[in-house]
Amino acid sequence: MKAMEQSPPPSESKVLLELNGVRKYFPIKGGVLKRVQGNVKAVESISLKVFEGESLGVVGESGCGKSTLGRTILGLEELTDGKIIFNDQEIQDLKKKEKKKFVKEMQMIFQDPYASLNPRQRVGHALDEVFRMHTKLPADERRMAVVDLLKEVGLKEESYDRYPHEFSGGQRQRIGIARAIALNPQFIICDEAVSALDVSVQAQVLKLLKTLQRKYNLSYLFISHDLGVVQYFCDRVLVMYLGNAVEMGTVKDIFKHPLHPYTQALLSAIPRPSVHGRKERIRLTGDMPNPADPPSGCPFHTRCPIAQDVCVTDKPAWVEHRENHFAACHFA
Amino acid sequence: MTTTVQPVPHQENRKKREKYYVTTLKRLFSNKLAIAGLVIVVLQVLMAIFAPLITPYDPVAQNLMKSELPVFSEGHWLGTDNYGRDVWSRIVYGARISLVVGVVAVSLGLIGGVTLGLLGGYYRKLDSPIMRIVDLLFSFPGILLAMLIIAILGTSLINVAIAISIWSIPTCARIVRGSVLSVKEKEYIMAMRSMGASDLRIMVKHILPNITAPIIVFATMRMATAILSTAALSFLGLGAQPPTPEWGAMISQGQDFMWSAPHLTIVPGIAIMLTVFAFNVLGDGLRDALDPNMNID
Repeated sequence: MKAMEQSPPPSESKVLLELNGVRKYFPIKGGVLKRVQGNVKAVESISLKVFEGESLGVVGESGCGKSTLGRTILGLEELTDGKIIFNDQEIQDLKKKEKKKFVKEMQMIFQDPYASLNPRQRVGHALDEVFRMHTKLPADERRMAVVDLLKEVGLKEESYDRYPHEFSGGQRQRIGIARAIALNPQFIICDEAVSALDVSVQAQVLKLLKTLQRKYNLSYLFISHDLGVVQYFCDRVLVMYLGNAVEMGTVKDIFKHPLHPYTQALLSAIPRPSVHGRKERIRLTGDMPNPADPPSGCPFHTRCPIAQDVCVTDKPAWVEHRENHFAACHFA
Repeated sequence: MTTTVQPVPHQENRKKREKYYVTTLKRLFSNKLAIAGLVIVVLQVLMAIFAPLITPYDPVAQNLMKSELPVFSEGHWLGTDNYGRDVWSRIVYGARISLVVGVVAVSLGLIGGVTLGLLGGYYRKLDSPIMRIVDLLFSFPGILLAMLIIAILGTSLINVAIAISIWSIPTCARIVRGSVLSVKEKEYIMAMRSMGASDLRIMVKHILPNITAPIIVFATMRMATAILSTAALSFLGLGAQPPTPEWGAMISQGQDFMWSAPHLTIVPGIAIMLTVFAFNVLGDGLRDALDPNMNID
């Protein structure tokens, strides 16, 4: 797959969203008194910037905290620590009412198009409800807006009166996209938005997302475990491991010159057709450690092929090795 | 803009949409017992509605000249009681009382139970307190609880309905809570939250419509229990007072004439049995037809 037109270099665009040391711990309660006995460290001190009109991919194996990161940004999970700055305003401590303003600007597209729509609600009504909650439009204007939305995502007007079970997976995902763009947001989190779809449908949905991005100057946080899709769709990539950011850079840098051994291992796992025979695959042994009891030092040292003593004792710093190319490894 | 878009009805879509209800009904009708239950319930409702038209006598009018007539007597096909009141008329009017008390009791129980269940299932913090109250209600035997409530409120059919409804609340609350817990984790609820929907909107518009099946089944089965309990409480003298033609009260009065006029206890007994049976098998049929595992997607 050839990468789509890349956005202008990040430095020229405006920062839309900034995360500063964002942490999300889930307390483990136990015993008779339900005391906190420990924490599952789902997201551990993530800092990043998302620029206007760009797609930032977030990759990592299942359980690495990428979905939790998305939900935490949106406020669906309570933040444990850190700052979330959206449009130059800190939003992590806002009250529910003040937050409503930002709800319009940040939306989410969910993974499972079969589960993300209420099976007992007509598609038109589901979209209408968004306008009902956030605008004061009269009924006929709302209906027109919904029909426009349906057309925008490539669905027919007739879809208005149908129930979700009458649609295919790809069509449902389009409905999910319509719902997400209904309020003209600036920022959309795509949580594995195409993972549940067939490859051919994936391409269509990705194309739709790209078109919408150009049209409305949207920014995406594109959470995925599919590196191929990320390479095709995103401008920059964040690689996560066990709740930690291990590497971040442009798609080109990450895919051509990965610095972190975990990224290298991930990339070597992508199946690629080649006439020269397969490249050596870096195999990681063992499982991901328990996020409730992460290893000391570098979180990756238990599985890292090049780990040394220093990795066990010291946590590597988040260093900018090249322009806009960060990595957390002692040997990068 | 002046143009308004009119809703477009689509014959084809409507057909598809109706398919779910059609398949549910088909399932229900393929169950012979459920059909029997449904027929009895419908007959009873008709009986209750048209009571004055199908009864030749006033259910409380006495005629001491014709007391204790056996079944199939001329003019009184179910006989008369010790005061010469027509048993058929009393049974028909009794159906009215049973159904009304049942419906009122179940509705009140549903209102309480669904509210508590929704709150308990949705808000984690309310879950424990609400469920402990429910457990408390559960710990009393049903009839004892009803007697206690009637002892406080006084004997009357309305109080019987209230007592039975209070006793229905814990079961209903548990069923609803369980369903809410499973629906709450669905992604579409998360989607609504990310849209900034209020809790009330999520509960009423998105959770409630998705848990109707267990509620319908519960309500139907509970009708049977409610009717039986009304009869039981009236039999004990805590519900309907003479001369009200209530089935339980009729059995209670007929006891003294067990040997001379056994139909005074047997006929209302059969009426109660048939009704309870009908609602129970209908509920069973509905549960199978509305099987939550059925693929509606």
